[in-house]
Amino acid sequence: MTLTLILEQAFNGLQAGVTLFLVAAGLTLILGIMDVVFLAHGAQVMIGAYAAAAIAAATGNFYLGFLLAIPLTFASGYLLEFLLIRHLYRRDHMEQVLATFGLILFFNELIRIGFGPAALYSDLPPSLSGFVEILPGTPYPVYRLGVILVGLACAVAIHMFVSRTRIGAMVRAGANNPEMTAALGINIKILFRLIFATGACFAGVAGMMLGPITAVQPGMGEPLLILSLVVIIIGGIGSVRGAFIAAIIVGLVDTLGRVFLPAMLRLVVDQATADGAGPAVASMLVYIVMAVVLIFRPTGLFPAKG
Amino acid sequence: MKKVFTIAAMATAIAMAPAHAETVKIGYMTTLSGGAGIIGKQMQNAVELALEHKGGKLGGMDAEVIFVDDQRKPDVAKQLANRLVKSDRVDVVAGVIWSNLLMAVHKPVTRGGTLLISSNAGPSPIAGENCHENFFSMSWQNDQTPEAMGKYMQDAGIKSVYLMAPNYQAGKDMLSGFKRYYKGDIAGEVYTKLGQSDFQAELSALRAVAPETTMVFQPGGMGINFVKQWKQAGMDGVSKLYQVFSVDGVSLPALKESALGILGTMSWSPDLDNAINKKFVADYKAKYGGYPSFYAAQAYDTILAVDHAIATSGSKDTDKMRAVLAKGNIPTTRGLLKMNSNHFPIQNFYLRDTVQDADGVVTSKVVSTVFTDHADSYASSCKF
Amino acid sequence: MRAVFPAIQLVIDGIRDNRLLWGLIAGFALFPIYTHVADLPFWNDVAMRIMLLGMAAMGLNLVLGYGGMVSFGHAAFVGIGAYCVGISQFYGITNGWAHLGFSIVACGFAGLVIGYLALRTSGIYFIMITLAFAQMLFFLFVSLEAYGGDDGMSVDRGEFGFIDLYDPLRLYFLIWCALALVSLTLMFIVRSRFGVTLRAIKSNESRVEAMGLSPLRFKMVGYVISAVICGIAGTLFASWQEYVSPDIMHWTRSGELMIIIILGGLATLAGPLLGAIVFLLLEESLPLLLGAVAPAYAENWMIIFGPLLIMVVLFGRGGLTGIIDRLSAARGNADHKADPR
Repeated sequence: MTLTLILEQAFNGLQAGVTLFLVAAGLTLILGIMDVVFLAHGAQVMIGAYAAAAIAAATGNFYLGFLLAIPLTFASGYLLEFLLIRHLYRRDHMEQVLATFGLILFFNELIRIGFGPAALYSDLPPSLSGFVEILPGTPYPVYRLGVILVGLACAVAIHMFVSRTRIGAMVRAGANNPEMTAALGINIKILFRLIFATGACFAGVAGMMLGPITAVQPGMGEPLLILSLVVIIIGGIGSVRGAFIAAIIVGLVDTLGRVFLPAMLRLVVDQATADGAGPAVASMLVYIVMAVVLIFRPTGLFPAKG
Repeated sequence: MKKVFTIAAMATAIAMAPAHAETVKIGYMTTLSGGAGIIGKQMQNAVELALEHKGGKLGGMDAEVIFVDDQRKPDVAKQLANRLVKSDRVDVVAGVIWSNLLMAVHKPVTRGGTLLISSNAGPSPIAGENCHENFFSMSWQNDQTPEAMGKYMQDAGIKSVYLMAPNYQAGKDMLSGFKRYYKGDIAGEVYTKLGQSDFQAELSALRAVAPETTMVFQPGGMGINFVKQWKQAGMDGVSKLYQVFSVDGVSLPALKESALGILGTMSWSPDLDNAINKKFVADYKAKYGGYPSFYAAQAYDTILAVDHAIATSGSKDTDKMRAVLAKGNIPTTRGLLKMNSNHFPIQNFYLRDTVQDADGVVTSKVVSTVFTDHADSYASSCKF
Repeated sequence: MRAVFPAIQLVIDGIRDNRLLWGLIAGFALFPIYTHVADLPFWNDVAMRIMLLGMAAMGLNLVLGYGGMVSFGHAAFVGIGAYCVGISQFYGITNGWAHLGFSIVACGFAGLVIGYLALRTSGIYFIMITLAFAQMLFFLFVSLEAYGGDDGMSVDRGEFGFIDLYDPLRLYFLIWCALALVSLTLMFIVRSRFGVTLRAIKSNESRVEAMGLSPLRFKMVGYVISAVICGIAGTLFASWQEYVSPDIMHWTRSGELMIIIILGGLATLAGPLLGAIVFLLLEESLPLLLGAVAPAYAENWMIIFGPLLIMVVLFGRGGLTGIIDRLSAARGNADHKADPR
C-alpha cells in the first residue's frame, strides 16, 4: 500500500464522485425547488447513454454521438416535465414515489422493446484510449481523466450560473422559498421546466460518459440513482454546493472503502473474519455514513432551506 | 355366429386403431422479464428449436411446453412451480437459471413426485445433503467449472493467481471450487460488490500487486463491464486474464473484439465436434442470428433428455423416466452424457479461447480438455 | 360480565363500520370452498400469498398511512421475521410458536432501535435513512454464509403442535387467523386514543406537541407495532415458501408494499388488503393478457404496469377504497360517510 496507490485510488474516487455529482445536481434541484421525489432520474442517465451509443454506432463518430445526445436528453426532460411531472407538484411524496417508480418501469421496458434486452455495444474512441502518467509509474486512462475534467467543468459552470446570473438567482430563490418566488411574479412554470430539463441533461451527460466504460443496458441508471439520493441527503436538499461536496465524499468513501477496508480490517481481526466481513461492510459503508450524518445533522450538511 | 363376427371385427378394429396420442407436458421456468431476460430468452429459443428438431414430439408423444417467467423472485418461482404441478399437472418442471430460485422450488416439486430438471443452476446443497431422486441436472454443479480452471492453472505451472468475484454465494463458491484444485500462490482474493459497474479501483489495486495471472468470475453485465475496463486500462500488459462464466454467448455480442484472447473453462463450446451440437449451433445461428450461449445449449439438452427418457422407457411415468435418466448415456450437445449417483452429470470440461470465426464474429473455441469425466465433489454426501 | 358486553359491542360496531375489510376477510375464509368445488387448489396458494402481503402492508400502513412516516425499510422486518424461522431451525428449534415468539421479540427490538435513530429525521430524510437501514440489513444477511447467504436456505414448516402445517388447508387457516387478529388489533388501535393522536401527529405535529404530548414517543410505539406485524407476516411467509433468502428484504420489496398501500388507499383498514389482491392479480394476469394480445411482447408486461401506477396516482385519489367510496356515495349510500377511515 504505497502513497502512489492511495493517490491513484483517490483519482478513481474523484472520478466516481464527479459522475455522481452530475446525477445528483439535477436531483437536488428538482427535489429542493419543485419538491418532487423524482425516482426516474436514473432513467435519464439511461436515455443519455442509449442516445449517445446509438448515434455513435450509426455515425461511427463518438463525439457526434455525445454532442447530439445532449440536446436530445434536454428535450426528453423538457417533454417529460410538460407531460407528467408538472401534475405531480401538488401531490405528496408517497404519490410522487409511486408515479415516478411507474415511470422507471415504463422507460426500462421501452428501451428493452426498442433496443432489446441485451447490452448495447459501445467502446472508447481511439483518440481517447491512451494513458497519461498522472504520477511517476502510474498510467491513468485518458478517458477517465476526461470524465473528471468534464465533471469539474460542469460543476464550475453550474456554480457560476447559479451564483452569478439572474436566472441563477431565481433558482436559488426558488430553492429557498418557492412560494415567495412565485409571488414575486417570476414565471415559475417555465423556470421549473428549464430546471428539470437541465437536470435531466446533466444526468444524461453522466450516462453518455459512462457508456463506453460500462454496459449500456436497461436499468443501468438505478444504482446511480440510489447513490445520488444518498448524496443529496448527505449534502442537503436543494443545495448544489452540498451535492458537490457530498458527491466527492461518497465517491471517495465508496472507492477507498472498497479497496482498503478488507486490508484495514485484517489489522484488527483475523483473516477469515476480515475477508468475510470486509466486502459486506464496504457495501454498507455509504449507508452507514449517511445514517451517521443524519443522526447528527437531520437535514444534511448544507440544506438550502434555512 | 354373427355376434362373434361382430365382436371379432370390433376387437380387430380396436386393436388396429392408433393408440390415443398421449401428451407430455413440460413446465419451463426461466427469467424472461427484467434485467436478465436475455438469458431466459436464449433458453426459450433453444427449447423451441429442440421441439422443432423433434417434430413437436418427445419420445413419440405430443409435447406441450408451458413457459413461465419467474421474474427472478423466489416467491413467484414457488407459486409458479405450484401452479405447474397442481393446476397444469405437468409431467416435468424444468429450467431455472438461478441457484436461489432452484433452492426455493426444489422441495415442493420433488417432494410432490414430479421430476425437476435444472437447465442451469446447480447449488451444492442439492448435489449433496439435500438431494432428491426426482431432481436431475442437465448443466453442472456450480463448483465444477472453476475446479476445471484451477486444475488447468495448476497443471500449467502457473505460480500465482489473483482472484476476483462478486460478494455473494455463487462468487464464494466459484473461488472455493477454484482453490480446491489450484495449489499455487493466491496473490489476492477480492470480493466486489454485487451489481458493481465500475472496477477501476480494483484494477488500480491489481496493478499495484502485478500478479502473474488473474482469474475472475463476473457473470452477466458485471462481466461486460469488467472485461471492457480491463482492456481500456491496458491491464493485459500487467497480468494474464482468465475467467469463468464472464465471457460467453450472452456477453460476447457486447464485448466483441475486446474479449479476444481471454481463456476460460466450460463444459460446452459452440465448436464441440458431434452431430447434435453441430446441428444445434448451425440452426440456432440461422434462426436467431448469433451464437447460442451455454445456457441455450443446456436448455436444448434438457429437452433432449426428456425425449430420451420417454423414448427409452416407453412412457412418461415418473418412476420409469427417472430410472432411464439415472442410467445416463443421454444424447446431448456434449456427446453421451453420463449421470452421477446424485443425478448430476459426469462430464468433460474444456479450456476455451475467445477467437474470431470465419465471418469475423467473436466466439469461443476449445483449446484442450482439462477434465475427462469429471464428477462433482458433493456426490458422497447424497443419500436418497 | 358487564365488561364483556361493551367489548363485544365495540367489535360489532367496528365490523359494521369497516364492512369492506371484514367482507374481504370473510371472503378469504370462504374461498377454499370455491377452490375445492372448482378443483383449483393452486389458487389457495395465491390467496395465501395475498393474505401475507396484505398483512405486511397493513403493518406498514399504520405508520405510513395513519402516521405519515414513509418508511422505505419495512421489508427488512418481514425478512427478520422470516429468518427467525430459518435460523431457529438451523439450531434445531422447530416449534412454530417459538418462531413467532422470536420474531415478535426480534422485530420489536429492531423496530425500537431503527425507529429511535430514524425518527429524529422527517420527510425525505426519513425515507432515506429507513432505506439505508434496510440496505444494511440486506447486505448483512447476504454476507452470512452460515445461513446460506444470498442462496438462502430451505426451511421446514413450523410445528405448531396440533396444527400440521403440511396439510395445505391448515396453513391457509393459520394465516387467515393471523390476518383476522391483526385486522382486529389494528381496528382497535386506529379508533383508540393512541390512533387518533397518531393521525393528529401526521396532520400537525407541532399542535400535538403544544398539547403537551411527545410526538416522538407515539411515533416510536406505532413504528414498533408495525415492525412486529410485518415480522409476523414474515414468519408465516417463511413457512409458506419453505425457503428464506435476503431477497425478501430487498428495498424493492418495500417499494412493493408501498405500491400496494397506495393502490388500496392510504390510511384505510381495507386498503392494504384490497391493494394486495389487485397487485398480485395484476402480476398474474398482465403477462397472460399481453401474451394473448401481443405474444412477442409478453415479457414486457411492465410497460403497461408502469403507466397503470401513474394513472392510479393521477386519477385515483384515495386509491381503490377511495374509488369504491365515491361509487357507493354516488349511489346515494349515506352510510359510508360514517366510516372512520
